[in-house]
Amino acid sequence: MSFTRMMEGNEAAAWGAKLARAEVVPAYPITPQTELISHIATLIENGTMKAEYIKVEGEHTAMAAAVGASAAGARVFTASSSQGVCYMEEALWMPPGLRLPIVMCFVNRAIAPIGGLRPDHNDSLLQRDNGWIQLYCENSQEVLDTILMAYKIGENRNIYLPVAPCYDGYFVSATATPTTVPDQEKVDKWLPPYKHEMYSLHPDDFRRPPRGENIAKARYEVQQAHERAKKVIEDVDKDFKKVFGRGYDGFIEEYRCEDADAVLITMGSMTGTARDVIDMMQGDGKGIGLVKLRGFRPFPSEEFRKIAKKYQAVAVVDRNTSYGSAGGGIVSMELARALYPMDDRPLLLNFHVGLGGSDVTLRQIEYMADKTLQSVKKGKVTETVDWVELHDLGEVM
Amino acid sequence: MNEKLFDRRYEENLLQGGTTCCPGCGGPLFWKMALQALGPRTVIYGDGPCAMCAIRNIKIPTFNLHFSFVADGATGIVNAFKAKGWDDITVVSSAGDGATGDISFGKLSAAAERNENMIQICVDNEAYMNTGIQKSGLTPYGAWTTTTPGGKESNKKDVPLIMAAHGIPYMATVSVAYPRDLQAKLGKAKEIKGFKYIHAVIPCPTGWRFDPAKAVEVSRLGVDTWVWPLYEVEEGILRMSRKPEQKPVTEYLKAQGRFRRLSDEQVEHVQTTVDERRTNLLVMEGKRITL
Amino acid sequence: MAQIVRAFAPKADHEKCIGCGQCETYCPEGTVMLNEDKKPVFDYRFCKGCGVCANECPVDAIEMVKEGTQ
Repeated sequence: MSFTRMMEGNEAAAWGAKLARAEVVPAYPITPQTELISHIATLIENGTMKAEYIKVEGEHTAMAAAVGASAAGARVFTASSSQGVCYMEEALWMPPGLRLPIVMCFVNRAIAPIGGLRPDHNDSLLQRDNGWIQLYCENSQEVLDTILMAYKIGENRNIYLPVAPCYDGYFVSATATPTTVPDQEKVDKWLPPYKHEMYSLHPDDFRRPPRGENIAKARYEVQQAHERAKKVIEDVDKDFKKVFGRGYDGFIEEYRCEDADAVLITMGSMTGTARDVIDMMQGDGKGIGLVKLRGFRPFPSEEFRKIAKKYQAVAVVDRNTSYGSAGGGIVSMELARALYPMDDRPLLLNFHVGLGGSDVTLRQIEYMADKTLQSVKKGKVTETVDWVELHDLGEVM
Repeated sequence: MNEKLFDRRYEENLLQGGTTCCPGCGGPLFWKMALQALGPRTVIYGDGPCAMCAIRNIKIPTFNLHFSFVADGATGIVNAFKAKGWDDITVVSSAGDGATGDISFGKLSAAAERNENMIQICVDNEAYMNTGIQKSGLTPYGAWTTTTPGGKESNKKDVPLIMAAHGIPYMATVSVAYPRDLQAKLGKAKEIKGFKYIHAVIPCPTGWRFDPAKAVEVSRLGVDTWVWPLYEVEEGILRMSRKPEQKPVTEYLKAQGRFRRLSDEQVEHVQTTVDERRTNLLVMEGKRITL
Repeated sequence: MAQIVRAFAPKADHEKCIGCGQCETYCPEGTVMLNEDKKPVFDYRFCKGCGVCANECPVDAIEMVKEGTQ
């Protein structure tokens, strides 16, 4: 039976795993993911969910167990954050390379030192090279829905890649918003059971991908899977909307951009805050729009080139740090590369905010929007990288 | 002529002859004996020790990651099989001494604490041999390795007793010099539910520095000098598998180049340690040794 | 499979052999087998010439000879 109530992101994720009929959940608690796995433990205990919840002793083990279980034929779900993600880092390279469609939630939390328990995106962005598909969720509903979509995307026989639904610790994980939990039967019809064509460890049917001689070729195959994944991600999103009535515009959502001269580009929970600021500023006649970046891997370069034509300036809001980088935050550098081939490029601004888990306020977003519109007026960017939190912006709005 | 005969035998043994292991390596010898006891309804999850150079020759399903991933991938496999209701498949998790004693030590402890239903085997050649003979926590006192050229300063970590202390249903030490004992223990482990731990010290002619032809002889000496005693701990109760007439450790040490530089004091230290362990084992025999 | 390069190879004296099977038991590669007559035969495709069989034979019925002369 489908039901709707106020639900925190972590609980919504647990319902996502339950509806997806995850069979093995190897997980280790870490703030702010902890409630996710204790919800799963409760769902299993009261018979709502049927899965083997492996209470492992550390995150490195969690991901290794996930790999073993997935190769052995079980649908796997796990989650972690920050330090836990770092601890399992060597294991995280296994699923994409081995083509095992594990789904893991990154409950974003800043990586120590110089940061608290609250989110920035360095932990999930750290995976940008190893082949994980990454989708960023704005609220509890999107977390639940994205988990269901994640299995459908990853287990597609032309993809076989692990998928990471990412959502901000505290601001999504522990903030209750109205969430609809769809009907199990409806999900079962939409998401068939997991059966990997390339892997089986059963003695009667032992299958493993052959060990190729050409390393570059094998790596290129993972790259090609990412390229094919773009269409699959969009198609699955459209299909989900058709069946469940909710969609997320694939990789990029343009919010109130019809008359915008410039856009802010955000990822994660700050998108929700940004929507309010955009509403306010457009109410004052300002031509600032909002682009929500949902899919970071594979990076939607072509999609960005299409929409960037419409704006005079694009401002990337990076909730991450990349010390000593070529220029600013991680998302801005990816976007810069995506826009580089354009003959007529918009101005590119980059704002660092919410670093180490700090809150992203309405006032800060207003500041960023104003700076962006100023650069449109001037026709140039005076400050390529702006660490917003270093400024005294007066009262928090 | 004999080729067809052998090809059939390799199928029966579940192990193809002609591994990339060194001549005289105890690794394939261990697997040849073990697989006969385990049978074909087995899956092996392994890592990268020398003995697993034999992995490509093993004729049952195998899956492996690195040596920092011991027992954890197997935990995943065990639970996947459980989720599927496939309860007639034996899951074996194999690890070298480097993995077992060092980098994945915590993982063994955790898998034992969770009482995962698998047989955890340590194929112990007493150093990181596959990467060219570096010291591990299970390298014995005084042994030469490339990272302990003056001889290892610390004692061999007593993993068998540590694992037994976890209160697991079954723990046993085995030797390739005593195949019937080895196979009986593996057969017993197969029938028990829960976490079983089997520790095999296997001879390494390359790293221990002796003529490969002596591989089994050196293993036998290890048991007969009580350097590597054979015993079981079943439901917490210790049972000696063999109580050989004790030979002096010098016979074992002199047979291997890696102990060449041991001084008389050091040899005495080894003898004392071995004697103490022998005494303790005999005192604990038949008793419950876990709290 | 490994490409086998041997310095020495085992050669059995079937007269001396008592058919105990130690050679077969202790061969690390499984390349020694007792045939129907309970005498050792060798798989020279995969034998590495380690010499364990010769060392373990209780009656010295196996000799390690120079490769090519077995």
